[in-house]
Amino acid sequence: MRNATQHLRTLIAASLLMTPLAALAGSGTVRVIANPSVKADAISAAELKSVFLEETSSLRDGSHVEPVLARSGSVHESFIREYLGKTDSDLQTYYRTLVFTGRGSMPREVSSDSEIAAYVARTRGTIGYVSPETSTEGVKTLAILGMESDGNRRLITRVEPVYPRELQSKHIGGTVRLRITIAPNGSVESTELLGGNPILGESATAAVKRWVYAAGPARTKTEIVVPFDPSR
Amino acid sequence: MHRVACWIFVFLCAGQSLLCGQDFKVLDRDVQIHGFASQGFVHTSDNNWLTMYTSHFGSGEFTEFGANASMQVTDQLRIGAQIYDRNLGGIGTWHPALDWAYAQYKWKPWLGIRAGRVKTVLGLYNDTQDLDFLHTFALLPQSLYPIDIRDTSIAHDGGDIFGSIPLGAKRGTLSYTAWAGNRDYSQYGGVAYLIRADGLNFNSVGGLQYGADLRWTTPLKGLLLGISRMNVDNTLNYSITEPGIGTLLLRSNDNSDWTNQYYGQYTWGKLLVDVEYRRSWDDAGQTGLSRFQEDSRGWYLAGSYQILKRVRVGSYYSHYFINFPLGGVEPAGTGHDYDKVVSGRVDINRYVNIKIEGHFMDGYGLPGATPNGFYYVNNPQGLRPNTNALVVKGGFNF
Repeated sequence: MRNATQHLRTLIAASLLMTPLAALAGSGTVRVIANPSVKADAISAAELKSVFLEETSSLRDGSHVEPVLARSGSVHESFIREYLGKTDSDLQTYYRTLVFTGRGSMPREVSSDSEIAAYVARTRGTIGYVSPETSTEGVKTLAILGMESDGNRRLITRVEPVYPRELQSKHIGGTVRLRITIAPNGSVESTELLGGNPILGESATAAVKRWVYAAGPARTKTEIVVPFDPSR
Repeated sequence: MHRVACWIFVFLCAGQSLLCGQDFKVLDRDVQIHGFASQGFVHTSDNNWLTMYTSHFGSGEFTEFGANASMQVTDQLRIGAQIYDRNLGGIGTWHPALDWAYAQYKWKPWLGIRAGRVKTVLGLYNDTQDLDFLHTFALLPQSLYPIDIRDTSIAHDGGDIFGSIPLGAKRGTLSYTAWAGNRDYSQYGGVAYLIRADGLNFNSVGGLQYGADLRWTTPLKGLLLGISRMNVDNTLNYSITEPGIGTLLLRSNDNSDWTNQYYGQYTWGKLLVDVEYRRSWDDAGQTGLSRFQEDSRGWYLAGSYQILKRVRVGSYYSHYFINFPLGGVEPAGTGHDYDKVVSGRVDINRYVNIKIEGHFMDGYGLPGATPNGFYYVNNPQGLRPNTNALVVKGGFNF
């Protein structure tokens, strides 16, 4: 009886999560793209933030970059919340402050993911973001490094998360985004759920806490993505 | 005025396509054109406020607009300029002014310079105090950002050195701006209005001003702390014309006036909380004849919350106190203005907004000594201790 009740609770929780799941999965799967003229293949989260807040217009390797944004949409909301730490309203106020005090320009804005991809493909030095489903022909995808510049510590031991059977049988999957703190000795000291299904998030957190990275001189933070594919 | 209000109404009703920033190219570089306009209406319970005659039927003599053009010449160099015009009762009176016009060169995120007419960074909002669409409130706290004397602190002709220095993930970011230059008060601002109201001729106020702002984006998410300092050496030139005698030129020199400002801002989701404190010391007069000192202090605590996607509500308490202990010219005394405010803002879309705001004021500052919203010339019947005000304002930007 107790097992049946627990099973029912899981199913109810899973069904309640079905509606926001798309948004949450999207929040964990924004793809950052760039025109092929951008030399870098990867960009740190801090550098990405500086580019979109117009604090810098060139990457460390010297590549000139200009941001292009969507006017609205769930991918746009996810990107600016997770990488810029702002709401759309905050971001508009920020850009208008730059424009009307003379300190910056209004960045290029377009209406959809496909327009971003098309604009980035034809315009040198541009950098934008799209959903993973968007065709990225003619652009390159940039890998996002950790939140800190030294956040790319090597993973030595990886423990795969347990996929909750109820969710897998209902084909409920997606990705979970976590921000983790790695201790100098390489153990995962703490985790913070940034996006994804909360039940999958619990499972991912339990696994990631058992991961071991290479030892480093100091504590570092990074962001990781843990996929849950119900078809596997 | 009515003609301008009609034009603004037409713009407000215009299609959204009109309200997008306009770009064109010069020498293969994008030039951006942006602008803004707003129209306000103010009604007060008793005293006339902000040089408008607000206490009977209210006043709509509260119009502002501006437009700018800017160009990113290279990755490091950008240039631009903005004109600004307003009519606020007897202030501004449709005389356009160069708001800012400068070149900015940024070598690195931690080092850049600006030269020309530059907006002065002082506290959270000095440089954006006239950009109504950036704020929840129709009127920023008047204890620190008095709208009638915006020209006394808004910009300087000179230069800035600025930059941001990351201190590491655990220490946040430190941003600095150091500036110096000359400032000329407007011929159509609150100071000129007050001097002319006293029957004197206002010629000019200007002089060297310099200062710095240091702000720390702390590692605690959403928390910003800062401090600003401004030093002033102004000279006021004015004259008295007596029939049959002629014109007597007079000069008043400030003597190392200063302003200190401390501030904090906390953002948590849809909540924004601001707190600022400013103290200004003013030592002015004619050496050997009469000198006087003003010690004014203001602070406010403001909070606003986005309750719907396009609706934000807010409230603040603004506290202004001026001490005028050595009155050689005006009667000595003290004055205050304590203002409790509730406000709501609706964004029709990204470009158009409407605000409605209630002010509940106790006091009127020291109108004979320094302008702060209330003027004897607009209140010949005498000032009453309390004033309630309704402010309605609509505007757009593109």
